[in-house]
Amino acid sequence: MRHALGRRPARLKISDRRFAFLLMLPACLFLAAFVLWPLLRLVIDSFFQISPLAGTRSFTGLGNYRTALESARFRNAALRTLEYTAIVVTMEFVLGLGAALLFTALGERSRLLRTAFLYPLMIAPVVAGLLWRYLLIDNFGIVNSLLARIGVLSSPGQISWLSDPHIALFSVALPDIWLTTSFMSLVLYAGLQNIPPDVVEAARIDGAGPVRMLTGIIVPLLRPVIAVALIVRGIDAVKAFDVILIQTNGGPQDATNTLSLLIYNTMTSYSQPGLASAMSVMYLIVMLAVAVVAVRMIWLPGRRAR
Amino acid sequence: MKIIRTSEEPPRPALSRRGFLQAAGVAGVAAAATACGAGGGSSGSAGSSSLRVVCESGGFAELTPVAALFKKQTGTTVTLTQLPYDGLFSRVSSELGSGALSFDVAAIDAIWLPQFAPKLAALDELFTPAVKADLFPATLDEGQIGGRYVGMPGWTNVEVLFYRRDLFESPAEQKAFKARYGYDLAPPATWQQFTDAARFFTKGGMYGTDVKGDVETEFLAHVLQAGSPGVVLDSTGAVIIDNAQHVKALEFYSSLSNQYKVAPSGAAQVGWPEAQNLFYQGKTAMTRFWAHLYRQIPSTASVYGKVGVAPMIGGSAGIAGIPGPFYLSVPAKGANTDLALKFIQFAYDHNALGIGTSLGLAARKSAFAQYAGKPGYESFTPLLTTLSAPATRSRPKTAGWQQIVDTVLVPTIQKSLTPNADFAGLLSAARGSVQSIV
Amino acid sequence: MNALQLRPGIARVLLWGLLAVVLLLYGFPFVYLILTSFKPPLDAISVPPVFWPRAWSLVNYRSALAAPGVAAALINSLVTAVISSALALVLAVPAAYGVTRYGTGAGRVFLLVALVTRMMPPVAIGVPLISFMQALHLTDTSFGLALAQMTISLPLAVWLMAGFFEAVPAELDEAAQVDGCSRLEALRRVVLPVTAGGIAVTALFAFLASWNEFLFALLLTAIRAGTTPIAIANFQTQFGLQWGSMTALATLYSVPVILLAIVLQRHIVSGLTLGSVKG
Repeated sequence: MRHALGRRPARLKISDRRFAFLLMLPACLFLAAFVLWPLLRLVIDSFFQISPLAGTRSFTGLGNYRTALESARFRNAALRTLEYTAIVVTMEFVLGLGAALLFTALGERSRLLRTAFLYPLMIAPVVAGLLWRYLLIDNFGIVNSLLARIGVLSSPGQISWLSDPHIALFSVALPDIWLTTSFMSLVLYAGLQNIPPDVVEAARIDGAGPVRMLTGIIVPLLRPVIAVALIVRGIDAVKAFDVILIQTNGGPQDATNTLSLLIYNTMTSYSQPGLASAMSVMYLIVMLAVAVVAVRMIWLPGRRAR
Repeated sequence: MKIIRTSEEPPRPALSRRGFLQAAGVAGVAAAATACGAGGGSSGSAGSSSLRVVCESGGFAELTPVAALFKKQTGTTVTLTQLPYDGLFSRVSSELGSGALSFDVAAIDAIWLPQFAPKLAALDELFTPAVKADLFPATLDEGQIGGRYVGMPGWTNVEVLFYRRDLFESPAEQKAFKARYGYDLAPPATWQQFTDAARFFTKGGMYGTDVKGDVETEFLAHVLQAGSPGVVLDSTGAVIIDNAQHVKALEFYSSLSNQYKVAPSGAAQVGWPEAQNLFYQGKTAMTRFWAHLYRQIPSTASVYGKVGVAPMIGGSAGIAGIPGPFYLSVPAKGANTDLALKFIQFAYDHNALGIGTSLGLAARKSAFAQYAGKPGYESFTPLLTTLSAPATRSRPKTAGWQQIVDTVLVPTIQKSLTPNADFAGLLSAARGSVQSIV
Repeated sequence: MNALQLRPGIARVLLWGLLAVVLLLYGFPFVYLILTSFKPPLDAISVPPVFWPRAWSLVNYRSALAAPGVAAALINSLVTAVISSALALVLAVPAAYGVTRYGTGAGRVFLLVALVTRMMPPVAIGVPLISFMQALHLTDTSFGLALAQMTISLPLAVWLMAGFFEAVPAELDEAAQVDGCSRLEALRRVVLPVTAGGIAVTALFAFLASWNEFLFALLLTAIRAGTTPIAIANFQTQFGLQWGSMTALATLYSVPVILLAIVLQRHIVSGLTLGSVKG
């Protein structure tokens, strides 16, 4: 062991806690300035009726909140956001798990293909949205044309992915699912690698079929991994904006108008920043509550168990 | 990830301290140099000889020759920044509201003027009697909000009827049409003739026309053709969206798709770009579209050279259209107001230059008259006819118009494109929504 | 090896077939995008649509690059992404190190704040940020946009780096400090080189967060600092949708990052899985 003596003059040693604090300080300052301060402005603005072009600003207490809650559009947008998140996360999970199992069953030889599977992560949501709009659009989209050619559809006009209000929400979810299934499959694949072989062997000896294996052994063992992936992706799905905006801008007939879009349009197109701020505040509160619950119930126990 | 070190020497980092600082320094300088942004011209402070104009794609086309000539004659560089339609609205709206302006002149849609008017400069000094005489009355009036002129018309547009001349002039088709309907085949002038022609030409993979569920101005034109004293609101601001003419117009508009099936599927999402593409590809025999389409048909399109233009069809009140003008406006708090006014005057003086551009439109009657009747400008006479029709009226000047369009008009039209739609019921429901906005 | 791996046999062959189909379907959209970019402009929106180009043409690329503002948008995207990811790293690496090595209460709070920031929809802080940027005279600048985009990439970077740092045993730092390094030097000369792969991945994701970002670019840029996602969306003009040019620019924009990802793929895989498996 070498001695510290003789190498350089002794430095003033601040405590470890101070040091850690200093390390975190720049990032904290940035977040305080660029996140917390705008958030504060947001909360303040939500109590005012603001008309930027007329230049007026009047205090209205909880007026904006009341307007939003009474507005069917807002309530429906909230419901739709939930629907959209449910669709996206469920599909991603199912498809991602399927892909992960597929890769696992085929072993190390599939590594190259696993890498190829990653590519959609790099694509911008705006690009993905435009691309899928192009694929699904009535009259010009190639998906219906191909489906009709192979006989799944009786004619290319049978399904109007983006113009039928009943299925539009599902259709705009497709690019989101396409983009992030590979992330899910990657995460789940890594989790699958960590499953102890002896547990699997024991189950096999006991005569467990593939279904039993999946529901009884694999999914329970993957629980912490699944939990983290679902929480992360759930948060991202709720925030989804670019993909939906570029495909349908909320239409047809508000069928794809999620909270993000409603807030954006209220702020910019209808020039009502006060109302939009109130909507955003409510949105954030709900998100926070849900996330805190999810983290408490799923993530932290996993951590403590380690 | 366990790392076992056999030696006691910590591994040498790839980048020494000095190298790191040097790299950081260079990166910092480079970042500062390019941190402002690679695009656009200088920030154009007051008094410099440059002018910033924001517009959308049509405006970009129309103003490019004007800008070039302005530079040649006055030495001032005019930077035209093109934004998509929605983006232009957001940009102008937020900048006028916040006061941090990135433009000196904006070429904006007529329907935005009521909302932006409080923050726009008055242009009254430009509106001499001679200037006013050469502009269409509706277009002139639309630019006047609250007693002051806040926009100078840059170019105006209206929907006319486009049809496939080769089909309408084909003897075989004419014979078959006469046999079926009992009168000569000609570009339709009434609603009934339009429906007949559309039904007749829906055959062999082609459709008679398109039905646009994603945009509202065409429906509004039909409302005027039915004889309504206004669209959505009347001249006093009362809500008339559920009057008899609106119901009739909606019935005519949507039945083409619902009942007669003369339009391609997915009507609810068909807007201008889709209708344009369908017509270019030869999928529709007729289309009601903005007049500028005529000179934009690409030479590679299958319909090139086979397109005829007629005035917009007429209802019981005759021909009517909704004018779609764009205005040049100046922010009230702008730093370059004098130069902006000079440019706008110049643009008016050379308004005819716009006709030579890809959009091919102007605002002044004299500019249109100069070219009407000349080969290649067959769309101008129908345009002038439609714009001058007595029933033609501009949209109401209300600040909530965009909201009315987005939240009431377009959804109502889309809802009406379902089988068994109750047109009167939908419009009654719309009445309540409009009421809450105005 | 892998507990769930199938032995060679008929089932395995079938699964390889299934995998091939899955990959085909998954890759189809992007392949179609690329193919369409090479079609003549009118063919891009032909009715009925065609998959394979009838003729190969570079017109879309030429018109996309010649369109007003596109060349500038490409430069702006690169500059903004580089500034944003570099700054994010500079702030996130020390912060993550402080959180993982010194498990203070403040550290846990910081992690939670970072998580909360991640939850925030950008649209919520978009408008307040506009006025904030105006006050700083940073609207319509690449630097201002980079800062705004860091609100997205910084929490992500902190979480990723925290995962990587946790994988490095604390004994390493301690050994370095015993050898006479100060705590900072231990970080710089010992821990950072070991986590170089992790830093590369974090840099890539921070870069991507800026490269692909749309909303802040939409709200905070006007003429000078517009980025390529805005330019791509701009091809939707009021009367026409230039699919051909749009697919060309989209292809041009996506291919470099995909190639970058292929180069860094091993690190990406370990980075993503590290963060989540360790929970």
